[in-house]
Amino acid sequence: MSSNKDISAPKIIKDRGSIHPINHLKDSIMNLLVSFGFEIIDGPEIETEKFNFDMLNIKKTHPARQMHDTFYVENKSNLLRTHTSPVQIRGMLEKRPPLAFISGGKVYRKDDDATHLPMFHQIEGILVDKNISFAHLKDLIYKIVYSLFGEDIELRFRPSYFPFTEPSAEVDILSSEGKWLEILGCGLVNPVVLENCNIDSNSYSGLAFGLGIERIAMLKHGVKDIRDFYKSNLDFLSQFK
Amino acid sequence: MKIAYRHLVEYINENPSIEEISDCLFQLGHEHEIEENIFNMEFTPNRGDCLSINGLLRDLSVFYNVNTNQEIYNDKLNKLEIDFENLSQDICPQISFLKLEIENIPNKYKDYLNDYFKDLNLNKNNFFTDISNYVSYENGQPTHCYDANKIDGKIVFKELHANQEFETLLEKKINLSDKNHVFLLNDKVINLAGVVGGKETSCSIDTKTVLVECAFFKPEAIIGKSVKYDIQSEASYKFERFVDPECQEKTIRRFIKIVEEHTNIKDVSLITYKYKKNNVTKIPVNTNVINQIIGTNISQNEYLTYLSKLGFIVNDENIEVPSYRSDIETQNDLAEEIARVIGYDNIERNEINIPKAKLSNIYDIENKLRFFLLDHGFYEVINSPFVGTGSSNSICVDNPLDSNKKFLRSNLTQSLLENLLFNERRQKDSIKLFEISDIYNIKDNKVNVSRKLAVIASGRAGHNYRDFSKKISKKYLDSLFRESLPSENFEFKVLSRDSLNTKVKNEIISCEVDISNFSTDVLSYSEISKPPESFIEYSPISDLPYSIRDLSFSVKDFTELDKFKKYILEFKHDLLKEVFIFDYFNNEKNAEIKIGFRFVFQSSDSTITETQVNNIIDVIIKHIEEIDGITIPGLN
Repeated sequence: MSSNKDISAPKIIKDRGSIHPINHLKDSIMNLLVSFGFEIIDGPEIETEKFNFDMLNIKKTHPARQMHDTFYVENKSNLLRTHTSPVQIRGMLEKRPPLAFISGGKVYRKDDDATHLPMFHQIEGILVDKNISFAHLKDLIYKIVYSLFGEDIELRFRPSYFPFTEPSAEVDILSSEGKWLEILGCGLVNPVVLENCNIDSNSYSGLAFGLGIERIAMLKHGVKDIRDFYKSNLDFLSQFK
Repeated sequence: MKIAYRHLVEYINENPSIEEISDCLFQLGHEHEIEENIFNMEFTPNRGDCLSINGLLRDLSVFYNVNTNQEIYNDKLNKLEIDFENLSQDICPQISFLKLEIENIPNKYKDYLNDYFKDLNLNKNNFFTDISNYVSYENGQPTHCYDANKIDGKIVFKELHANQEFETLLEKKINLSDKNHVFLLNDKVINLAGVVGGKETSCSIDTKTVLVECAFFKPEAIIGKSVKYDIQSEASYKFERFVDPECQEKTIRRFIKIVEEHTNIKDVSLITYKYKKNNVTKIPVNTNVINQIIGTNISQNEYLTYLSKLGFIVNDENIEVPSYRSDIETQNDLAEEIARVIGYDNIERNEINIPKAKLSNIYDIENKLRFFLLDHGFYEVINSPFVGTGSSNSICVDNPLDSNKKFLRSNLTQSLLENLLFNERRQKDSIKLFEISDIYNIKDNKVNVSRKLAVIASGRAGHNYRDFSKKISKKYLDSLFRESLPSENFEFKVLSRDSLNTKVKNEIISCEVDISNFSTDVLSYSEISKPPESFIEYSPISDLPYSIRDLSFSVKDFTELDKFKKYILEFKHDLLKEVFIFDYFNNEKNAEIKIGFRFVFQSSDSTITETQVNNIIDVIIKHIEEIDGITIPGLN
């Protein structure tokens, strides 16, 4: 029989915490895009109508500007940004093309159900250079989707509508259950937006894309209710160590 | 919007299957689901022109030979004498009124009209309203039918700036407020323009003389009204998305034709007011630009053929945009038309190379702090910024989702405290949380932003035998943080539990620091663990209570010690959520090791019972009892 003098104590298993799965996914996608050549820029969550809507060719009559869709603050003097696109506007006003920016963060819309929340996260990217075409956009989107879901994933592009891109597209992936799931929106930057940012649209064109982090996180982790991400429940968070 | 397959296909010469049409619609960007041969369409907001059979057929005509020339009434019409004044001509630049009297109300509808109601499972109202709904389905232009005998005065169209009660034809009473474009009869609202008509002047099943109003309203006057007044209105859905400003007379004549096909018309007269000519958009032909935008190489002939099929009038110099395509203004718009026709998925990829950017490090300090906290057992949370209480410099949301949460939070700690209490209520005995977020407030009449890190912790220091009996305290956290980040000042404080609804007595320790206060020394922290690289399949969590069991063993024969520990720590059962060593004592003098394990059980579908727990524990005990030299003190 061995002596207990020779026995070493059990290894102390230190508790590890976890990065929030939304931030973890956001960081992973941002890092991927940085590796493609995009530069990270940042902007405020409290925005003006000018940057959130006007500069992006979202007309005064657009439904998104209604009080039932957008949170306004301080007697309508400002609003909670409804997307991260205004960061790109600020970036384009600051730097001259060629440019390639990404921005990620919280955005706000007046929704609240199992698949929508008043606060969620987006990553958007923009690239402005000479002779950028829809065929280039497709190449970039394929690279992003393949990196996120693997090269076996089937994807499709559907025409869509965003005031700040033309042509516009939504991209779906085919789930293992054979269902098409929308994962991102994209398009060529509407020349009106370039001109709003003092970029000559006859010389330059651009591509832009945006994706909702929660949507992709729900798909990747199999989370059915978006609200689970924000209950701060340790039983939930501890699964993402 | 619902459109029946058979209503579409009867105008398509090739007689395609529902699946073939569905594929074409997807390629064109018209999302839909199919239920029992009905397309449930979801159009993008710029394609108001597609909100009808004819509109959809116009788009499909790029793939098929389509004939949408429904018969219209071609005879000359008498001029209607009507007392009408338009005080908002900019919003309504064109309007027609048709007065029509019939001999008898038909007791049977023609097949096409019957099929519309039957196939789409719609309720019939009255003869004229039924035709109005059908015509709108067929060509996208809403019309409104008044019982002409109830119109006995001057009709005025204007923007009303006064509150007025209005009862809709669906018998819903609404209080019009702020500004609304309305039709007034003797100063009383009879129609919320483009949304819904009023009950007082509506048609009934006995109406034989109808006054049909057919107008073009600018979308800005209609947008938001149906939501504001909680009215389901197909008319407003169409007007919000732009109807064809040139189709009103054709619509009226189609209306008359359908009436004529059902009964004898005794009298009919029409008046059209056109205050402004509709602008025609012309875009120069430039195939090179189109190819450059899409990244294709199509010929000019191919390009112009596609546009012709879509209803554009083309010549070698210009492309004239049809009146129903308000969404087409630029070369990029035309490029999208061509890309849709080619099919986005048929456009070849062209490799893109982006020059490497300067690496940004704006998140590096934050990331280092995250990894440091992760290494020390802290979980990151993300909280909603909306809170119920604010201070004088808090930012107030004008239109909160919940009126009890109308402020933006001015600190992170309060949210973390709520998170901590939530987890305490879920029997968590070791809670360590952090959040990094922007905080907004008003400073010098301006929006001020600061980026904060907040940390909160309470309960046991950890789930291992060294930390289990230690309680998290200010001193504990101070020393933990100082050891790794000696030059940073965290200023931990104890939060009082006095006003908290909890029976737990553990100290709550927190701190909230401005990220800008951290020095670059943080960057030298060398992280131990990193977040997982592969994605974790999440298991749904249970809200049911835990059951906890502790088992303490006395080990006197050490040869089987490792095997014994491994057995317990790797024991698997669906109901066993966690097992860890909470106590360990090596008594060298007595040649005995005492080791305690904690088992945490939880069921996902019902409250776990004593019997369930006992059964699992018995399996473990039975196994251990067979090992010589290991006993459970006190167990008979």
